[in-house]
Order: sequence, then C-alpha cells, then structure tokens
Amino acid sequence: MNLSRLVPASGKVRAGLIIAIFFVLLAAFGPLLTSYSPQASGTELLQPPSGTHWLGTTQTGQDVFAQFVYGARVSLGVGLVAGIISQIVSVLVGVIGGYFRGLSDDLLYILTAVFLVVPGMPLLIVLTGYLPSRGMVSVAFVIAITSWAGSARVLRAQTMSLRRREFVEAARATGESRTRIVFSEIMPNALPLIASGFLFSVIGAVLAEAGLSFLGLGSLTTTSWGSMLYFAQSAQAFLYGAWWWFVPPGLAIAVLGAGLALINFGIDEYSNPRLRTGKSRGRATRTSGPHAAALSTAGAAAAASGVDAPGTAPVLHEDGVGEVAGTEPSEGAAAAAQLRPIDVAGEPIIEVRNLKVDYPGIDRVVHAVDDVSITLHRGEILGLAGESGSGKSTLTNAITRLLRNPAQVTGGSITYHRTRARPGGSRGTDPGSAESIDLLGLSTEELRGYRWDEIAIVFQSAMNALNAVTSVGAQFDDVLRVHRPTMPAREREALARTMLEKVGIDSDRVSSYPHELSGGMKQRVAIAIALVLEPDVIIMDEPTTALDLLIQREVLDQVMALRDEYGFAIIFTTHDLSLLLEVSDSIAVMQRGRLVEYGPALEVYAEPRHPYTQALLASLADMGALV
Amino acid sequence: MKYLLRKVMLYVFIAWAALTMNFLIPRLMPGDPVALLVERLSGRIDPAAMDAIAESYGLTDAPLHVQYWDYLTSLAAGDLGLSIGFFPVPVSEIVLGALPWTIGLVGITTVISFLIGTGLGVVLAWRRGSRTDHLLPALTFLNAVPYFWMALILVLILSVNLGWFPVSHAYEPGLVPGWDWEFISSVLYHGILPAITIILASFAGWVLSMRNMTVTVLGEDYVTMAEAKGLPKRMVLVNYAARNAILPSVTGFALSLGAVVGGSMLTEVIFNYPGVGYTLFEAVQNQDFPLMQGLFLIISLAVIAANLVADVVYVFLDPRTRQEG
Repeated sequence: MNLSRLVPASGKVRAGLIIAIFFVLLAAFGPLLTSYSPQASGTELLQPPSGTHWLGTTQTGQDVFAQFVYGARVSLGVGLVAGIISQIVSVLVGVIGGYFRGLSDDLLYILTAVFLVVPGMPLLIVLTGYLPSRGMVSVAFVIAITSWAGSARVLRAQTMSLRRREFVEAARATGESRTRIVFSEIMPNALPLIASGFLFSVIGAVLAEAGLSFLGLGSLTTTSWGSMLYFAQSAQAFLYGAWWWFVPPGLAIAVLGAGLALINFGIDEYSNPRLRTGKSRGRATRTSGPHAAALSTAGAAAAASGVDAPGTAPVLHEDGVGEVAGTEPSEGAAAAAQLRPIDVAGEPIIEVRNLKVDYPGIDRVVHAVDDVSITLHRGEILGLAGESGSGKSTLTNAITRLLRNPAQVTGGSITYHRTRARPGGSRGTDPGSAESIDLLGLSTEELRGYRWDEIAIVFQSAMNALNAVTSVGAQFDDVLRVHRPTMPAREREALARTMLEKVGIDSDRVSSYPHELSGGMKQRVAIAIALVLEPDVIIMDEPTTALDLLIQREVLDQVMALRDEYGFAIIFTTHDLSLLLEVSDSIAVMQRGRLVEYGPALEVYAEPRHPYTQALLASLADMGALV
Repeated sequence: MKYLLRKVMLYVFIAWAALTMNFLIPRLMPGDPVALLVERLSGRIDPAAMDAIAESYGLTDAPLHVQYWDYLTSLAAGDLGLSIGFFPVPVSEIVLGALPWTIGLVGITTVISFLIGTGLGVVLAWRRGSRTDHLLPALTFLNAVPYFWMALILVLILSVNLGWFPVSHAYEPGLVPGWDWEFISSVLYHGILPAITIILASFAGWVLSMRNMTVTVLGEDYVTMAEAKGLPKRMVLVNYAARNAILPSVTGFALSLGAVVGGSMLTEVIFNYPGVGYTLFEAVQNQDFPLMQGLFLIISLAVIAANLVADVVYVFLDPRTRQEG
C-alpha cells in the first residue's frame, strides 16, 4: 500500500487534519506530561507562566496547564459523544424522511423545522437548568437533542435527490429490499454530507459545552475548557491581566473549530467540484510574459493582412496540422485534415489563425484546440460540428474570450474586422472604413465594448442562461443601459418589446419572469436578447439541443428568417451534423481539438474526404437522417 | 402567495410547539426538578411565592390537559407567572424590560454583520485564486472563536489595557433612563464593545457561506451570459451572481440566527448587559424557573418572527415563490 496516497492533496485538509490529530493526542497523552492535578490548589496564586507552571496558576494556585490538558479530554469527549448522537438522529430523520416520503416524511419535516427554528442555546440553557444532576454525559445528550436539525434537513434533500438517480431506480426495479437500498445505495453516497455534518456537530457541541460550562451550567466539578473560562470570569481574571488563565482554553476551542472546518472545506470541494477550480475567469486569457508579446505581434500581422486584402478569401495552407503534439498520443490523427477553400460572397469578419488552446493538467497538457484556422464571412452560417470534447466549445469560447481557467491560449491569433460605425458607440469610425481588432489583445474595458455589440451568444439551454430572479425586460434593459447609455428608458422598453415580437412572443411578456415561460419561449427570448444590439456575429452553442423536435424546427426557422432580415453571421455549434448540413454555408468538423474537415457545406456533404466525416455521414445515412 | 401562506402556517405550528415544549419540559424532566426546588426553597421564601410555584408547575392534582388549558389561557392573557427571584414581580414585566436591550444590540449587530459578511463573501468569490484567498483560514478561525471568549479578549485589550471602553453595563450606573442626550450617548458608548464583539464573532460565517455559494453560482450559464453581454464587472457580480447566491443565505437564516442568538446571549453575560441573555443567566442561577421559561418563550417567538421576516424578504427576492397555483 502506498502511504503517500493517504495524505490528502489539499493543503487546507492537511492543516485541518494536523490540528485535529494534535488535539486528540493532547487529550489522550497530555495529562501524562503534568504532575499536577487539575483541581488541587497550591500556594503560588495567580502566577504567570514559568518553568514550574507552564501556563501559570489560577487564583487558588491551580496549575493552568494541568487544567488545560484534562479539560481537553472533557471538551473533546463531550464534542464526540454529542456529535455522534446528534448525527445518528440526523441520519435517521433525514434519510428516512427523504426516502420513504409520505406522512412520515411530513411529520419528520415539521419536527425538523421546529428544532431548526427554536434557538438551540436558550433551549439548552433551560433544559440543563432543570437537570437535577449535571454529569458530562447528560450534558452531551442534551446538546445532541438541540443540534441535530440542520444536518437532518441537508440529508433529507440529498436523499430525495439520490432516490431519483438511475442506480437507485435500478436497485428498486430488481426488487431489493428498502432497508438494503437505504444502507447499500443511499448511505454510501450521502457519506460526504454525513461526515461534514458530523464535524459540524462536533464543533457545535464543543462550543455549546464551553458556553454552558461558562455560564456555570455544566458540571463544575469536572474541569473542561468551558469551566476554566467560568472560573476565570468569576475571579475577574481579565481585570488582573491574567491572560494565561483564559487565553489557552478559548484559543484551543477556536483553533480546533477552525481545524475541523478546514477538513470540511475539503469535503465540500470533494462533493462540489466548482469550489475546487481555483481561479476566476477573465484574468489569464492568455499567457503573460514574452510569449504573450510574441502573440500580439502575430495578431497584428494577421490583422494587417486582413486589411490589405479585403474580400479575398484567404488561401488555406495548413502545414501545421500534420505535426504531432509532443505530449499527446498521435493515434487516430493520422489522416490529414481536409480543407477546401470557402467561397462565400461576404468579406471576412472573424479570422482565426493557427489557434492553440491548452489545458495544463497534472500529468500532461491537453490541447483542446490545436492549430485551428477558420474564417467567418459576413452573413455566413458556419457550422461547427464535433462530439463533446472535440474542442468546438473551447474554440467559440476563445473567440468570445470566455475561456475559463486553466485554459490558456498558447498560440495563434483571432482577428475581428469591423467595418461599419456603430450607432451610439463612442468608438465610431467613419462608415465604410475597415478596422481590424486583435481580439486576444483587447483590454478588459475594450472587450466589454466589443461584447454583444459585435458578437452575441445564444447558449445551449436558455433555462440556465436567463437570470431566474429578474424579469425578461430587465435582462434586455441592462444590455441597453450599458451599450446605449444615451437611449432614454422609454425607448429601451419599446425596443425590448419590438425584439420580443420579432421572435414571435407577445410584447407584454417583457414583464414576465423566466419561470413563467415555456422552454421554447425562453430560447426565443434568449435569441431576442442576442439581437437587441444588432450584432454582426451570433454564436449559437447548440441552441436547439435542449428543445423537443417540433419546437426545434420553429426556433430554427425563426433564426433563419431573422438572419435574412439582419444579415448577421452565425457560428452554429452542434453535434447534429444533419442539422448543420441543412442550414450552413460552410462546415468545420473538429475531432480531438483539430480541424479535420473544413469546406462549403454542399461539397462536404457530397464528397466528404476525411475518414471521420465519412463515418459520421455514413452513420447518418444508416439512420435515415439524410435524404 | 401560497408559498408565504404555507410558511406562515408552519411558523404558527412551530410557535405552538415552542409553547408546548415550554409547558412540558418542567413537567417531564427526569428527577422531578420542580418538587426538588420546592423542597429546597420551603421556609426560605415567601409562602405566597411557594403557592405560585406549586400552581404554575402543576404540583396540583389537576390532570395534565386541564393544566395545559390553564397554561394556554393565562398565556393568552399575557400572564407568564411571577418571578421567584424578584418575587412578586410578574415575569412579563421583567421580560419586557430586557427585550428592548437585546433587540437593539443583537438586532442591529446581526443586520450589520450580515451586510458586511455577504458583501465580503461576494468580493472574495470574485477574487478567488488571488491573494485574498489567504484570508480564508483567518476567517475560518474567526468563525470558530466562541463569542464569550472574543468578548473577554476585547475587554482585556480595549477596556482594561487601553481604557477606551467601559467594561460592563449598558449605560453609566446612576443615570436615569430617559430620552436625553446624556443617557443616549452613554448607551451608545457602552454598546460599542458588545456590538464589536458580536459582529467580529459572527460576520465570518456569512462571508464563508456567501463565498462558497457565489463561487458555485459563478459557474452558471446566466453569469457567463451576463459577462458575454459586456456588462461591467460590478453589474455581473451584483445583479446576476450575488442576487442568486444570496437566496440560500436567506433560507438558511434560521440555522445561522440560532447560533448568533446563542452567542449574543453569552456576550450579554460578560458585559452585564441587561438584555434577555443576561436575564436568562440570572434566572438560571437563581433557579427562577418561571422567569427562565418566560424568557425562553419570548426568545423563541422573537426568532420565529425573524424567520418569518426572512421568508417575506425571500418572496421579494425570488419571483418563483410568487407563482400562483
């Protein structure tokens, strides 16, 4: 067995574990380090730390260090016992309620709500106030009674979601008993939550015991961290400046609590991977340093060539394609890319040249986009096909500068050709004059001006792309307020209404919230929002995949009609090649980060050259999807 | 509105449950605490007080349901019984005297701490991966510091050593409470240190939960779309990310408020602050059971009311709860 695998990778968890283990060892073996009894009074009163009394003495001459280490036993013991009892109750209530549903769930839910809302500390105080004899076990028990509810609620929600998963459904279908399902299917999957709930219970119980003992409600004949603070407080230790008396126990509680919470961070990150992705987006869109400087020169060169020869379709000579990336296995990439010149009437608007985007991994670098060059012309519909993981989303995200870390553009350029002056924009050039923009070199502020005004996006699922808590109108309005600052409020609303009507939605829906719209309507709203600034390019990321077939067709027809009206270009990504063949002017097929086939849609359809495209088309023909 | 109605019904039920718990606890606790108390007190206090205790704790022969009915009717009349420690002052009078102090101190500090905490949480989420992440362990530590210990340390440093703030009490002893500047300024001056304690001990919890929630929300498509729209950072963060991330904080309010209330009560004890927490502490020390129960009841009702307010706010924040049908 490899011991190093037992050490958690996260520094937080490691620190937390070290702290927890330290206190457990302190509680177990600490009392062996001292010859003093925690209760015995001595003759040296209120002495600061010294060689004989490591943490000084109390007002009655008791040794603070002895109290501290014996107190650790009691405080940790109460924390563990209360944590275990409380977590057992939480699991029973949460899992039973969540799994069995029905009346028992309703009752347990209400019971949980009562204990969740009624504040724990006052209840605890009242309960212990009535306890005739306060042993530490009864204190732990009372603490458990007042603290199980929060974790039970979380577990109930988790169980309810687990019970709908396929593997549980499957177990039910095979006739496994309910107890067996709960113990062998549900519980293991709820384990991270149970573990994190347990740690929180322990922290809560240590704090509660300290609070109770501090009020003199614990067992005052037993030394715990809380009772040390109680005696320090009643002797007014802080007025004498006897910090050594009350600093250690409180500090220990806080450090222990922080340690357990750090372990919980690790558990959270394990069950919610988003918390793990360290860095935010937007900062590192490109590698910095000398390499970046080289890139912007490349971008500028590409931009310059775009200005020099407007209107001519760039000649595609992709000699970089054949070269094998050093770290990636080259199997399957043997067939050369099949690139044909695109013959579209419009001028180029976006030119992607030799773009490389990498995801640095632990073992190796993944080339998500590997030396891809494509050109989008005005009014063109470029279909971008490929299975998931082929790099098509990484490519479009590079164009919109929405790459998330750790993705890095490591080579190539993206040039945007702007020709017409924009209404209301502060950076209007005279109409007709061309301007080439190095997209990868734009500063954050420049980028904001270019977004949505030039390139808008329609996301795959409008359900997730619309903000659920603000109205449809507000989601038009913020775009207009930012990009058309001079437009009066009434005009902004009128424009939003017009746009809704353009996509076939009643203009009064402007005050609706997303949840009040059907799936198809939401996608139309998303399209209307994309059009509101009349951008030259719209990127549609599988815009119809989430819709059912009939609605898919309607939405698609609408997009085509709007394209005829406004003349924007579209980059349309999907894994549905038959759809692309129908709507696109040109098609780019990606596989494992590379462009394997690129050319006019009709030619690609009639005569696919790359084996991957041929296989795709053949499978479509088999299914009868192609006529 | 159906959502709110359901919530109101739930809280009415919870309030009833709290009332009933309050009735049952002294009667069902093992070891018959009330009988022990009566035994201990007999001869030491006014016989009239003895009778009052015996009556309010069912040391009568009346069956439980009759006692329960009596309990509910006297509650409805605002009668919480008579205090033992301050016999014969009615419990309700003491409770009403303590309540404004706690609502003033804990109410204001909770709001401030929530605002600071959620604001900072959003900022830390946005700047994740940068140097501000090094604040997290410190915040985790701060979140685990017991309120009363924080109070002790602050008293040691700011009051005893530096002499900036008074050590205890809510106002200068000897002042007559009234709406005059001398009294009000004294209240404010005495309130600063307890307020700092509660804020310092509680804001880190809000920061950590808001940061985690915002980090999760930042991965959602609507935030990406807001960014793609070219909206300024602040707008993306406030109107899209934070606006959605705050929802679980509001629904989880009950859980957090419980901890804050508990901690604040201990803070009151340290500062001899004449609020509900300090009074409860005194009641427990005097074994003043009627006062203890009256205070528990009023604290529970106040927390239930605060939760109801949080749910009303939630309805304003989340349009999905406003759906008809």
